[in-house]
Amino acid sequence: MANQLLEVKGLAVSYGDVHALWDVSLQVEEEAIVALVGANGAGKTTILKTISGLVRARKGEILFEGKPLNHLRPQEIVDMGITHVPEGRRLFASLTVLENLKIGAYIPRARPFFAESLERVYSLFPVLQNRKNQRAGTLSGGEQQMLAIARAIMARPKLIMLDEPSLGLSPILVKTIFQLIATLNEQKARILLVEQNVNQALKIAHHAYVLKTGKVVMSGRGEDLLANEEIRKAYIGGMAVKRKK
Amino acid sequence: MMKKTRKSSEQLGRAKDPSGFLKSLVQAGLKNRIFLIIIIAVLALVLFGTMPFMIGVDSFFIYYLFMVFIYIVVSQGWNLIGGYTGQVSLGTHAFFALGGYTTALIWLHDITHTWYYFDPLVMALSGVVPAIFAIIIGIPTLSRLRGDYFSFGTLAAAQILQIVILRTTAFSGGAVGLRLPAGGFTDLGRYYWTALLLVVLAVVAVYAITKSRIGLALRAISEDEMSAASHGIHILKYKLLAFIIGSFIIGVCGSLFAYYQFIVNPSSMMSLDRWMFYPLLICVLGGNGTIMGPIIGAFIVVTLFTFGENLVGRVHPMLSGILIILVMKFMPTGIWGLKDKISPRR
Amino acid sequence: MEIVIQALVNGILFGTMYGTAAIGLSLIFGTMRIVFIAQGSIIIFFSYLCFWLFTLLGIDPYLSIIPIVLVALLLGVAFYYGLFKESAALQDRISSLLIAVGVMFVAENFMTVAWTPNPRAVVTTYGFYTVRLFGIHTTLTRLIALGIAILATTGVFLFLRKTLIGTAVRACSEDSEASSLMGISPHRVNAVAFAIGTGLAGIAGINFATTYSFDPNYGFDIAIKALIALTLGGIGNVGGALLGGIIIGVIESMASYYVGMGWAQGILFVIFILTLTLRPYGLFGKISQKA
Repeated sequence: MANQLLEVKGLAVSYGDVHALWDVSLQVEEEAIVALVGANGAGKTTILKTISGLVRARKGEILFEGKPLNHLRPQEIVDMGITHVPEGRRLFASLTVLENLKIGAYIPRARPFFAESLERVYSLFPVLQNRKNQRAGTLSGGEQQMLAIARAIMARPKLIMLDEPSLGLSPILVKTIFQLIATLNEQKARILLVEQNVNQALKIAHHAYVLKTGKVVMSGRGEDLLANEEIRKAYIGGMAVKRKK
Repeated sequence: MMKKTRKSSEQLGRAKDPSGFLKSLVQAGLKNRIFLIIIIAVLALVLFGTMPFMIGVDSFFIYYLFMVFIYIVVSQGWNLIGGYTGQVSLGTHAFFALGGYTTALIWLHDITHTWYYFDPLVMALSGVVPAIFAIIIGIPTLSRLRGDYFSFGTLAAAQILQIVILRTTAFSGGAVGLRLPAGGFTDLGRYYWTALLLVVLAVVAVYAITKSRIGLALRAISEDEMSAASHGIHILKYKLLAFIIGSFIIGVCGSLFAYYQFIVNPSSMMSLDRWMFYPLLICVLGGNGTIMGPIIGAFIVVTLFTFGENLVGRVHPMLSGILIILVMKFMPTGIWGLKDKISPRR
Repeated sequence: MEIVIQALVNGILFGTMYGTAAIGLSLIFGTMRIVFIAQGSIIIFFSYLCFWLFTLLGIDPYLSIIPIVLVALLLGVAFYYGLFKESAALQDRISSLLIAVGVMFVAENFMTVAWTPNPRAVVTTYGFYTVRLFGIHTTLTRLIALGIAILATTGVFLFLRKTLIGTAVRACSEDSEASSLMGISPHRVNAVAFAIGTGLAGIAGINFATTYSFDPNYGFDIAIKALIALTLGGIGNVGGALLGGIIIGVIESMASYYVGMGWAQGILFVIFILTLTLRPYGLFGKISQKA
């Protein structure tokens, strides 16, 4: 338990009088992909927003590499090494692809390595290099998702948080995105993934948490949860399928 | 506490309950909060109603209260539009001026052939004309413009009206304006009590609306328009309703002010500072979207500006400006809003 | 006919001043949703600064650009951190509008009391040197003012496009929450935007002082027209704001010639309403869609 990259303990968050999270705890270890799954409104996005500083917790603790994040502002949290790719991507549509990437490397920590990061991003996503001077708003859905992830990489993060990366994408693109996430992880990126596509998420995750109405109801290894009857019935439907190795 | 209640029934001449019933009412009031508010309101009314007899009807204080009442009424009107429904209108001065000009024109051209001074019919009509104007500019602006754009649109419409008034000299008297025929200024009394009456009517009207289903719809619209629409609330209809009622209230007040001034002209009736910014400031300072807000705000703002004008003279706008800045920076929810808990910041 | 062309040219020149003011307004509104109605009064304030530097210290108005712009930039930062930070964070329109009104009251009153309401102008020895271009007469100062306005606009445009901070301003303008997720501090960016806004007011002030006479009460009028120019140009569109200003200037000038100043103002307001209802994204159309 000593090498926790990210540790969330007893998080409680409310939007006004509405409780979004009750006593949520989770961890992300080194070298891992951790998935948060659950139905709409279960609180998954809220967790990410609290970690990245957009939302303030009422109770609980968030530790990143042992240091507390609770009262930091989003800019400072990015500087510590966490990037959040929000739901709906939130690209800067009026800026070009290249400008979006430049903004991605805005923090002083990442700026000296801009050229290097750019090269890496272009090799992962050649299509972005082709469209580098195009307005981000004119890209297709899949390209936009790639740009969003690429932009996150530009900050040289230690932990990337992805909120619903497969949203609105065709099944082929979804597969591509998830392959990409796996590749990133192989390249030493740690990923905290929020997904409604429970099937894909659990296939790729080392560890996963299931959320329901603001509480963690189940957690375990990805493949274990994938095989779990309850989970299948509630979120996936269909017979258990042996996971291909 | 009980002695004043008897005075009110005789002196104001308004329909009031016999004092015996009042006594039991007071006792019930101590137990029930709403009755307590009513008791306080009645007492306040009595106090203000009898004030001219106590300190002399032409005293400066009565003039001061008169201005407070005027501003309360105008601000309540704006409050309905901007505070409750969330549509920040910057065209208040247009409604006010239209009310005043309507009164002047009806009187000058002898349109209604009724008795001339403080004619309720004329005053009511003076509220109707701004209401019509509200419909004319309301339908395009409320349906198509959101937020800031709506505000700009109302400001532009008001300024266009001002230019039209300035230019159509034959009709409106241009920059010089129109003098009200007949009648002379005898004393402040009748203006004072009419203003007080208007305050009561305005507060009651706004209170009744906010407690009704209409008020609920308005509140829903100001909080989340899309959600309100999805619950079947006809957005335009309710926004327009608030706009019309608010403009009516403001217009009637403009009529009273015209009677008081004996002259209507753009610089006094359409003054951007006095009839647009001040009511806005009053509502925000007192507390947007509340009944007490405009009342508190009016007292504070009129106090500061009236006495400021007399004490500090030339530099008084500068002090007003500094005051506005300080208040907005440190108390953006207004004074009445201070009583609510502050929600956790992000 | 020559008079008409003269009016047109005057309109363009006056319009560049509205345009410069409008760019500042556009930046401030675009990033912080603040309607800085005091922009006009601040412009007049800088006109006075230019005037006093010239009258008391003999500094040529065009040399005073540097100190005035510097003061203007600092003033913008001071305004933001001192007055508008809270209402910008909460996106509280009414508060920020009222604070801006407060600034306007203070500025106007201060100038009236301190410097009297008499009209002033900066009259240099070379000021009346007329130039004849393509058959029309105009003074040298007006041409220089035009040149300065164009330079300033280009400068701001390049700043927004080519520098990282400028790009950050544009990003923050579009989506300040997402920008904070990129490590951009919204307050710093807002302060930069505000500073540019007031900086442009400084430039407009110098231009105004050298080309026309001014008094403390002009401010609101300028601000309203800058607002109209802003809506014509579309929020966030630097070139559009300048063009919008020129259009306003031309319409005002031409309309004044044909129907008189009073109705000309009315026409401007009608255009205002028409733009708001029919072309809310400005005459030059939508630039972006949300991604």
